[in-house]
Amino acid sequence: MSNNEKKGFLDKETTRREFLKLSGKGIGGTFISLSLLNLLGCTNTNVEEVAAFPLAQGVLIADRARCTGCLRCETNCSLANDGKAMPYISRIKVSRNYNFGTDGPKLAYAYADGAFGNKLMSPETCRQCAEPYCGKACPVGAITTNEIGARVVDQAKCVGCGTCTKACPWTMPTVDPETSKSTKCVNCGTCAANCPTGALRIVPWEEVKYAMRKLGYKA
Amino acid sequence: MSTGGWAGKIIRVNLTSGKISSEDTSKYQDFIGGMGIGYKVLFDEVPAGTKPYDEANKIVVGTGPLCGSGVPMSSRTNITSLYPGNDKNLVTDSHMGGNFAAFLKYAGWDAIIIEGASSKPVWLRIEDDKVTLEDASSLWGTGIYNTTAVIGSTMGKESCVAAIGQAGENLVNLAVIMNGSSHSAGGHGAVFGSKKLKAIGVKGTGSVKIGKDKKELMDLDAYVMKEIVGANNQHVVPSTPQPWSEFVYENSRWTAREGLTWGASEGNIDTGIAAPGDVNKVGYRTMKAIKDLGPVAAKYTVRMGGCQSCPIRCHAQMNIPQLEQYGVSPYAANTCMGWFSPAGVMFKGTKDQKEEGDGNMITRALGSQLADDYGVWCNYGSIGRDFQYAYESGILKNVLPEEEYNSIPWNLLEAGDPAFLKEFYRRVTFKEGEFSHLGDGTYHIAKRWNFGADYWDTKKYSMWSPLGFPKHHASDESYQVGAIINCMFNRDAQSHSHQNFISSGLPVDILKKIAEKLWGSADAIDPPANYTPMNQYKAKFAKYGVIRNCLHDSLTLCNWMWPLTASPLKEREYMGDTSLESKYFSVVTGIDTTEEELDLMGERVFTLHRALTVKEMGTTDMRGQHDLMVNWVFDIDPDKKPFTEGTIKMDRDDMQLALTMFYKEMGWDEKTGAPTRATLEKLNMKDVADELAKLGLLPA
Ligand code: SF4
Ligand code: SF4
Ligand code: SF4
Repeated sequence: MSNNEKKGFLDKETTRREFLKLSGKGIGGTFISLSLLNLLGCTNTNVEEVAAFPLAQGVLIADRARCTGCLRCETNCSLANDGKAMPYISRIKVSRNYNFGTDGPKLAYAYADGAFGNKLMSPETCRQCAEPYCGKACPVGAITTNEIGARVVDQAKCVGCGTCTKACPWTMPTVDPETSKSTKCVNCGTCAANCPTGALRIVPWEEVKYAMRKLGYKA
Repeated sequence: MSTGGWAGKIIRVNLTSGKISSEDTSKYQDFIGGMGIGYKVLFDEVPAGTKPYDEANKIVVGTGPLCGSGVPMSSRTNITSLYPGNDKNLVTDSHMGGNFAAFLKYAGWDAIIIEGASSKPVWLRIEDDKVTLEDASSLWGTGIYNTTAVIGSTMGKESCVAAIGQAGENLVNLAVIMNGSSHSAGGHGAVFGSKKLKAIGVKGTGSVKIGKDKKELMDLDAYVMKEIVGANNQHVVPSTPQPWSEFVYENSRWTAREGLTWGASEGNIDTGIAAPGDVNKVGYRTMKAIKDLGPVAAKYTVRMGGCQSCPIRCHAQMNIPQLEQYGVSPYAANTCMGWFSPAGVMFKGTKDQKEEGDGNMITRALGSQLADDYGVWCNYGSIGRDFQYAYESGILKNVLPEEEYNSIPWNLLEAGDPAFLKEFYRRVTFKEGEFSHLGDGTYHIAKRWNFGADYWDTKKYSMWSPLGFPKHHASDESYQVGAIINCMFNRDAQSHSHQNFISSGLPVDILKKIAEKLWGSADAIDPPANYTPMNQYKAKFAKYGVIRNCLHDSLTLCNWMWPLTASPLKEREYMGDTSLESKYFSVVTGIDTTEEELDLMGERVFTLHRALTVKEMGTTDMRGQHDLMVNWVFDIDPDKKPFTEGTIKMDRDDMQLALTMFYKEMGWDEKTGAPTRATLEKLNMKDVADELAKLGLLPA
């Protein structure tokens, strides 16, 4: 990937919008609330000091304009992490939004996101939140931080209750019905390394913050 | 059964009784999946003489062991049933890509066998193990797009829906079953309609298991993505000079170059230099939009798209605001014939609106939306050619009642105004008047309207068989090889194995070297329009083409990409890897299988197709009654002789020899072309041989 393309990732309006989208509510204007920046790991204070969970080194970001909906990331993610092809537990979610975007079929679907609308895919990725809702909600403390700072599910501790799924604003963690254990993104990068159109990248937090600041966000 | 690949179960749904049951896939393991299951069910369960719309006809919607496993280009649905497009009521397959096949696997099913007929409209709902029939009365009369949206809001946005439109409901012979916004299977839509089955919705939370270590599978993927896979149709040479390639081939679908962009994408994404080895660029190689819609289409391209698991992306996704003036969405997606057929209907040409070539693009995009939503099929482009012949020969004026003839806005057709397409597809879909018989299919319409010999015998109309199907990469491109393959099926041949290799873009001397390694001699292929008499290497090449095609539709893999016979890499001397299907099969299913063993399974599937055709036609005389070609094949270029430079003209005796040599390769009776008992038994199909013997249909 050329440097230009790398730089372009967060310059795109739609990518940013998707990335910042909170449960269907778009973020307008040029100012993002502190709590959202917190969620994304960007604060005015030194996050590493205050966060209960050490900050992840990077975050998986999708450039939706480049996503062609091939769904290879979903099989690659589950093959790499679970040894089986299972899009339902892929930590990146593309197929669930394939036809009608994140909001599902609406009367005006022909003009909304998705293959039956404006043709835009809506890949969803884990934000590796600074204060992860999933981890904070887990009743048995099964979500911890690994050596690269990703929030990961400790399979031995997980009881498969699905609290993390409900707690995540983007419904990202998924309990595998075949093992009754939760799954979530571990920042392994397999999906990004194999995306046929380079639509995915693990972006270091410093770059995210820099891009946000450049765009006028407080970060 | 194996540890990986297959889901292990098949849904059987009887629409007459409403009974839904689960069957074990292992019963069909010898036939792999998809197409193989379809043929076996039809051979065993549908009596000869059954007609496509009879309650006794069955339709099998199938996937195979590789589908859903993540193997590149593996989300193909194979649909098998009797075909209504001619009066022989023979088995055909229709195929669709998209997400449906993979999703069916994730729901835990390898195939769906549909039998009987419902008395009221229904749709089949599949959510993992929960399979139910739902009332479709409110959906009956609805187009495919809205049907998908309604079922999507009932089942959840993550579902995938395969549906018929009004054409299928109204028993238009040329009707499709479609999933996603552009993936349609042609010829069986009205079989669904005759059973009052509107749609199948599927979502699944399960997995496809991998028989061996996941690493082996991921390593194979990496190898394919880095060294073997090309652009669409496995073209391995770029269409413009590129720093990484020593060759250029103008017609190649490897279009990526600096400055060619997805012009309607945010940021105007450049397809750029997508060199072999760069796995994150594979999806930019093929900008099919400009191939199918012309150069003007680049700036209207949102992105490329395609099927689950496929890195190639051959379906163009467009944003063409001019479409709104016709009352349709500006967003359109399709590939190949989906775009081409409407242009064939507008045979008088199209008028540009604002810029050069936009009339053609708008025509194709409007027509593709109309045909897809109504669910009209084109018989591989024949619907437009049939229309053209009937119009230009004056037949249409004679056969249509005067009032009806005068109600058709011919001025729009003459003026190249795409609005004509709205009239055309509506009349066909809703069976309005005599005109709508264009939707019956070539065979029926030619009989009904008494088409002259010039229709069949002029290459312009592209007919291949007196059974009413057109050529599809036939003798005009690969001589005896294409001709044999085009004679084998009961609709236009869906085989691209041979075509993709010869049109890969490599110079003929390199192709010949590869041919020598694979089929024993460089003489297996010919340079363009300079071909030689039949030889046994061509017979071997033809056999490779057909049996790989059958393998792919059983595994299920996309035969528009597979087999990967050539590679884009010079250091490999451009050799692809023909062992890949067997390697993937071994890793995914966990059953060690060699290339030869898997090819033998393909041979079994194809021989079963032949046995089924013999049974349905009630004769062993395949040579005399089935493997037929129309006259232009032999009579084109009257002042030229076959086997001379500059002609595609075939020789009648040589073609009969070609069939004989092919029958021999297949182990079929050399006189009739019917499968022998010895061959059927060698392929583990003693039961098929016994049944044919009972019917007196084994060659002497
Ligand atoms: S692999 Fe890339 S292009 Fe394919 S669905 Fe995932 S993000 Fe989109
Ligand atoms: S799973 Fe959700 S809550 Fe947890 S870190 Fe990822 S985005 Fe945040
Ligand atoms: S980074 Fe790894 S775990 Fe996360 S979505 Fe991609 S493949 Fe899955």
